[in-house]
Amino acid sequence: MSSVLTGRRRRPGDLSLQTVAGAAALASCVLVGLVVWKVVDGSRSSLHAYGLRFVTRVAWNPVSGHELYGAGSFLFGTALTSALSLLLAAPLALGVALYLSELAPRALRGPVTALVETLAAIPSVVVGLWGILVLGPLLRDHVEPTLHAALGFIPLFGPPSASGSSVFTAVVVLAIMILPIVASISRELFLAVPGNLKEAALALGTTRWEMVRGVVLPHARGGIAAALILGLGRAVGEAIAVTQVIGGGIGIHWNLFATGDTLASKIAAQYQGATTQLQTSSLVYLALILLAFSLVINVTAQWIVRR
Amino acid sequence: MPKLGAIIAIALVAAAAAQARTNDTTITGAGSTFVAPLVAQWTEPLGRAYGYTLQYSPIGSGGGITAITNRTVDFGASDAPLSADQFTACKGCLQIPWALSATAVIYNLDGAKNLLHMNGQTLAKVFTGQITRWNDPAIAKLNRGIKLPAQQIATVHRSDNSGTTYNFTDYLSSASPAWRSKYGKGVSVAWPSGTGQRGSSGVAAAVAQTPGSIGYVDVAYALKSHLKYFGIQNRAGRYATPGLKGILGAAASDVRPDRTTNELSIVNPPTRYELAYPISTYTYVIVPAQTAKAAELRKFLFWAVTKGQAYGPKLLFQPIPRQVLVVAEKAIAKIHA
Repeated sequence: MSSVLTGRRRRPGDLSLQTVAGAAALASCVLVGLVVWKVVDGSRSSLHAYGLRFVTRVAWNPVSGHELYGAGSFLFGTALTSALSLLLAAPLALGVALYLSELAPRALRGPVTALVETLAAIPSVVVGLWGILVLGPLLRDHVEPTLHAALGFIPLFGPPSASGSSVFTAVVVLAIMILPIVASISRELFLAVPGNLKEAALALGTTRWEMVRGVVLPHARGGIAAALILGLGRAVGEAIAVTQVIGGGIGIHWNLFATGDTLASKIAAQYQGATTQLQTSSLVYLALILLAFSLVINVTAQWIVRR
Repeated sequence: MPKLGAIIAIALVAAAAAQARTNDTTITGAGSTFVAPLVAQWTEPLGRAYGYTLQYSPIGSGGGITAITNRTVDFGASDAPLSADQFTACKGCLQIPWALSATAVIYNLDGAKNLLHMNGQTLAKVFTGQITRWNDPAIAKLNRGIKLPAQQIATVHRSDNSGTTYNFTDYLSSASPAWRSKYGKGVSVAWPSGTGQRGSSGVAAAVAQTPGSIGYVDVAYALKSHLKYFGIQNRAGRYATPGLKGILGAAASDVRPDRTTNELSIVNPPTRYELAYPISTYTYVIVPAQTAKAAELRKFLFWAVTKGQAYGPKLLFQPIPRQVLVVAEKAIAKIHA
């Protein structure tokens, strides 16, 4: 009896579970290792030609005779679009999560939750297409001129774009893509806050908002941070939808309404059919930088959650 | 009862025949979106002639080159000739001219007629951002008697690696020394301004919804999406349209494919080709010289460069000239198992 409880005697079922689970864990480690090795190996000739100077250089010219590559403008674009989209999506997502877990009438919670989760399931290429056809022109004709007129003195809100493709359109598309992720994780977190804590707060005479601020949010703080970082990771890595709406271009500028580019979108646009070996290698170098960028985000996330 | 038996027997034979047909060879290809409408027209008659099933994925010239280099398809298709690096990587690939068409320069300008006039130097200045408004004297000079608005010009180009971009920048390089020295030609160049879009469909969509914009797509696509396009001034000084006559006029300027690469250049031909539309191009099929499907590929490609050409004109593909056909057939004969 005691041996069953402590599990000291090895039974075949336990053993096979241990083996299968261990193999799965090992396989994922090996996979990450292989990816890293492949990316480093693929970027070798670009690494050799440009070294670390590549990371900050603002250039991308694949025409033979003019060939010169650098990640500067794409690194800047990735940082700008992902940070801003998170800034835009975070308050909305937390609002949605609070509404669905605390405030909404019971009859509404199920259907609305399902709808929010459906938003997460829309393929990014479809969101991108909608970005080209609907969102881009809408932002160009209505939102960008208004923002420029009111806040034009801030460099971020320069002259509106001509075609509807802009960094701003990409930011809004990314915000739409990360909103459901952050919202549904946060909702789960809020639901996991013990009911008796909330009831105790209400019994002490707090308002609903004071209860949310004093009990729900502190309880879920670490989890929310992790959810936000997960959203950020999605924004950093998203390629196709961004390629479709950001418009491309080389250079560092703060005007959100002009076109730009990101690491992932550049790789998605140009990897197929790259004409020279150095171009292919430089695109893989971009992937290496993207990988390092994501790694930093992941490590930061874990550090925040532990704290 | 014997009647029923006969019916069953006939049904069985028919089923067996149908089975035999579906078991036939499938030829897979990928690449150029430019040539895709023509290849789509070939599928059915090719099935009737040889029982081959043709599967073509229009993923862009760049993608087609990658696909044939990795041998994931039986043939690749590209509007831009292979670069030296790409030839090396493709390990014994043959490049064969198999279709002939043009790139249209499309625009979206409210109230303007179709076929406004344009020339290469002005176009180069528009795409470098030196000319920014429709009523710029350089554009007005080409369109006397037409009132052009002071509207901003927005240029749209391809963001992916594209044979259409190669054709267009090849033309700009030929027409404008400034463009050649600063940006050059390629399937993707360092555009100084404008918006990048994926695929002909992306460029066409962006132009359609951006007032004042100018972009470039293959002519079949321009017609299909009902966009306006420029008449482009050729070296003889005439404004040529990207129609069959203009393409044929340009094709006459080079009928001798390069001895090793089979490359032909018919962009911006000399003055004596009076009818030439200056942004015309050949498009190429790329096949491994040695392949297990050699016999099938030979049959298919012979058919494509001869009978297949008849399906071209209504899609604005000009049948390839005799001299080029001879070279293409010689190259096809080199495919072996």
